Amino acid sequence: MEFLSPATWEEALAAKSARPDAVPIMGGTDVMVELNFDRRRPAALLDLTRVPELREWAPDGDRLRLGAGVPYAVIVDRLADRAPALALASRAVASPQIRNRGSVGGNLGGASPAGDAHPPLLATDAVVELASVRGVRRVPAREFYLGPRRTARSDDELIAAVLLPAPAGPQQFAKIGTRNAMVIAVASFALALDAGRRSAGTGIGSAGPTPLRAPEAEEFLAAEFDWAGGRPPSPAVAQEFGALVAAAARPIDDVRGSAAYRRHALSVLARRTLGWAAADYRREMAACG
Amino acid sequence: MTSTAAASVVGQPVSRVDGPLKVAGGATYAAEFDPGPGLCHGAIVTSTVASGRIASIDTAAAEAAPGVVAVLTHRNAPVLPYHEHKGLTDPPEGERIHLLQDDRVRHQGQPVALAVAETLEEAVYAASLVRVSYRPESAVTAFSDAVAHAVPPGPRYRDRGLEGDGGRGDADAALGAAPVRIEAEYVMPRLNHNPIEPHGTVARWSEGELTLWDKTQWVDNVRAEMAAVFGLPPDRVRVVSPFVGGAFGSGLRPWANVTLAAMASRHVDRPVKVVLTRRQMFGITGYRPRSTHRVALGADRDGQLLAIRHEGVSETSTYETYAEEQLGSSEYLYACRDVATRYRVAPRNVQTPNDMRGPGKVTGVHALECAMDELAAALDMDPVELRLRNDTIVDQSTGVPFSSRSLRECYQAAGERFGWSRRNPRPGAMRDERGRLVGYGCASATWPAMRQAAEARARLLPDGSAVVSSSSSDMGPGTYTSMTQVAAETLGLPLERVRFELGDTRMPTAPVHGGSWTMASLGSAVQAACAEARRRALAEIGRADADLAAVLRQIGEPVEATVRTEPGDELRRYSAHSFGAVFAEVAVDPDLCTVRVPRLVGAYGVGRVVNPKTARSQITGGMVMGMGMALTERTEVDPRDARPVNSSLADYLVPVNADVGELDAVFVDEEDPHVNPLGVKGLGEIGTVGVAAAICNAVYHATGRRVRELPVTVERVLGAAVR
Ligand SMILES: Cc1cc2nc3c(=O)[nH]c(=O)nc-3n(C[C@H](O)[C@H](O)[C@H](O)COP(=O)(O)OP(=O)(O)OC[C@H]3O[C@@H](n4cnc5c(N)ncnc54)[C@H](O)[C@@H]3O)c2cc1C
Repeated sequence: MEFLSPATWEEALAAKSARPDAVPIMGGTDVMVELNFDRRRPAALLDLTRVPELREWAPDGDRLRLGAGVPYAVIVDRLADRAPALALASRAVASPQIRNRGSVGGNLGGASPAGDAHPPLLATDAVVELASVRGVRRVPAREFYLGPRRTARSDDELIAAVLLPAPAGPQQFAKIGTRNAMVIAVASFALALDAGRRSAGTGIGSAGPTPLRAPEAEEFLAAEFDWAGGRPPSPAVAQEFGALVAAAARPIDDVRGSAAYRRHALSVLARRTLGWAAADYRREMAACG
Repeated sequence: MTSTAAASVVGQPVSRVDGPLKVAGGATYAAEFDPGPGLCHGAIVTSTVASGRIASIDTAAAEAAPGVVAVLTHRNAPVLPYHEHKGLTDPPEGERIHLLQDDRVRHQGQPVALAVAETLEEAVYAASLVRVSYRPESAVTAFSDAVAHAVPPGPRYRDRGLEGDGGRGDADAALGAAPVRIEAEYVMPRLNHNPIEPHGTVARWSEGELTLWDKTQWVDNVRAEMAAVFGLPPDRVRVVSPFVGGAFGSGLRPWANVTLAAMASRHVDRPVKVVLTRRQMFGITGYRPRSTHRVALGADRDGQLLAIRHEGVSETSTYETYAEEQLGSSEYLYACRDVATRYRVAPRNVQTPNDMRGPGKVTGVHALECAMDELAAALDMDPVELRLRNDTIVDQSTGVPFSSRSLRECYQAAGERFGWSRRNPRPGAMRDERGRLVGYGCASATWPAMRQAAEARARLLPDGSAVVSSSSSDMGPGTYTSMTQVAAETLGLPLERVRFELGDTRMPTAPVHGGSWTMASLGSAVQAACAEARRRALAEIGRADADLAAVLRQIGEPVEATVRTEPGDELRRYSAHSFGAVFAEVAVDPDLCTVRVPRLVGAYGVGRVVNPKTARSQITGGMVMGMGMALTERTEVDPRDARPVNSSLADYLVPVNADVGELDAVFVDEEDPHVNPLGVKGLGEIGTVGVAAAICNAVYHATGRRVRELPVTVERVLGAAVR
């Protein structure tokens, strides 16, 4: 196995272009597991840990540009106000050791439907920045996930960053696992409210072949939410929102949970995150004025 | 006991004497030993069918791979004598698999080849190149199919006192006449051994002598088995195992790594190391067998038990019969005139199960104690009250009195600490501040107090220190520490002047480190050896009251005593068991049905507690295992091909720190003058017993729902409510 270890982003892109079969490795928390279990024996590994840009974050217009290799621990500690849903999801990942190494770029690279970063990226309408020697392109997260572990990234491209819109309202994330930590989600859900545009974003994890959105639930909530006052949603609205989220899921039975439970759980998580978000909304309104 | 400053060291919460070594990385585990130059590494190739013959095995590519020294298969492996050997921890019925001796495959994961190479990586790679094809034969793969052909444990188990059928009186008639009756079936999945240190062995031959550095709870049995397998006199085999990174029973039998390392080492004439992978821990080592239990209880309206019928069946392999005493507790735990038990084993094409912490009891008591809770509900009676109403000072299965029994005191002590009186008896009536349903549940725990013959040597040195040794093990309970305490107290020397050594067949013979009997057995031997050595030293100068250290300096040369102790007839005159009561609080999300365990509180009557610190950590560790059994652990076995599906720690879920709430374990004062000279009853295993039942009973109390199949998953709690 060849080990490519570029020191700069340009070298990394050149290497990926020359060896599209090279498997990038950032935190290694997915790649090393696959190698250890012999699920995969790549001809080449492309080590990205020496590329400084991947670990940086900075404003980009009114968005936050988060380098693909920024570890979860940093997001939890430093970026909770700039990326609330993603920070909540990052806190739910694995254990401190894994959070010190694992990255959003790695989550996107593997594109497991259970990855915790995906629902917040979908709900907040984040954008994935892809780069190759051919140039840079920006793909909305909502168009990134194409099929089971298949994404819009081409073989010669690397994930450079994600662009996170400035929060324009409350964001929530909830995850259910078989135990309290170190656990792959049985189901997860993210909700982001945009007070300015009076719209809602959703993201569903671990309940379909890819991370999913619930567009009908989003439209329903945009119409029903009390944007003026943030009144607690009526039980009927909460119920319907939950039902629409559950309906958008396409879960299967597996060792971690049954399809029926996943749907049920999503409806509960959707209702709960809505209740929390409405409470946050009222708090923010009160704080503003 | 002697009367010096050290006299009170037994009973003190002494910190582990080997703690600093372990924390600093100075404790050497089996796979870390350096056997000298030339070490090679072995990687095991395992079968992928449940039953059949090896049709072809192609090792050419593996042999040509870099660094490969040899590839052993049944075609080129040395033919080994494999003389009969049945240690106490081997199933008496059937015969172990003779590794690489023929083309027969009896289970998924059976070793079929060993690649030996200069480095581990090269060995693993070479192993991946071995191509095996099989002629599959018909196999019993599903547990349900195996149960249909279940049989009694067999005559050799009967000789060991484990019958298929037991009891007294006429349980069926008594059940028929009982005014209140419940009957239910409980399912417990297979649970796999998952100590953090996997099994591993380093083997080295020199001049016909075999040295093995191994992870084991019983060096003497490893020696005996290897002597039998290789046809050697036992004194040509030495086994060394000073530290064990957790075992819980997995170290009771030598697994394939031992024989393969020894075989390969002889074949290539170099030291060889073989360590099981985590996946192989699911296919090569034993496990707690899957079982199904049916319990029927009858009582009068005041809660007096009138009948107990308890039937259980557990899986075993096709080549050995593994049976454990699952139902014994139903015969002695409570007073009841009419009792019937029926235990069967169900052979299946899997590897043989083996003892896991609290074997048999953990399973049987779970079913019994869940049933007791169901009976309490049927009687509309407090579950603690129901147990106390059926308390007894006589073991009704044998008619002899208990040597000591503090079940009542345990319920009182633990119940008080837990706050049982705050329990609203109505299911679903309690909530926490987060709106979660709160449930309180309890269960009894029991484990027999046993004792084996044991031998220890005390060697007193002229500098006033002592080295005490025996071939025992310390897989975690703190044997190094507790034996040092007993020795120091008996000798009248300060703790720091006494060193206890274990884990080497060159030392006096200890019993297997299991059964919760090490303190009773070896503790008695250590006490006796130290007392004898002290007596000899003092006799030399003819004074019985002198300071031992001063006497030793005066004598100027070592004084030694090796003493073997064995149990008398006390365990025939008394029924000796540790008892306990464990309380669980659960918090159940009413919508998501996730179950969390904020608190476990247990009280135990275990006779004398030599070291309350290590004792407490034994119990709390056992509680966490019980929690895993209750909520997350299960080995999924594919019913089509008997393959363990979730054979990794990512898929076989043990509790993590974030799952563990408050753990509280106390010991009630108990003096047992009958069991053994130290008055200890053993506490290594009882901490796991009853925990899952207490949790299930608490889940019922929280939700009104009985989950009778473990683990208690969200789907099972949600039950029919899932659309
Ligand atoms: C014990 C354990 C627990 C875990 N728990 C969780 C959990 O709770 N939630 C969760 O979501 N995940 C979990 N994971 C999975 C893993 O930690 C996450 O998916 C993490 O985000 C991966 O990031 P990484 O930087 O380690 O990726 P790596 O392992 O380095 O890479 C992952 C994938 O992304 C590709 N890749 C990495 N960087 C780039 C890039 N810049 N451009 C293109 N492709 C790239 C790699 O080629 C690979 O396919 C767990 C893993 C372990 C070992």
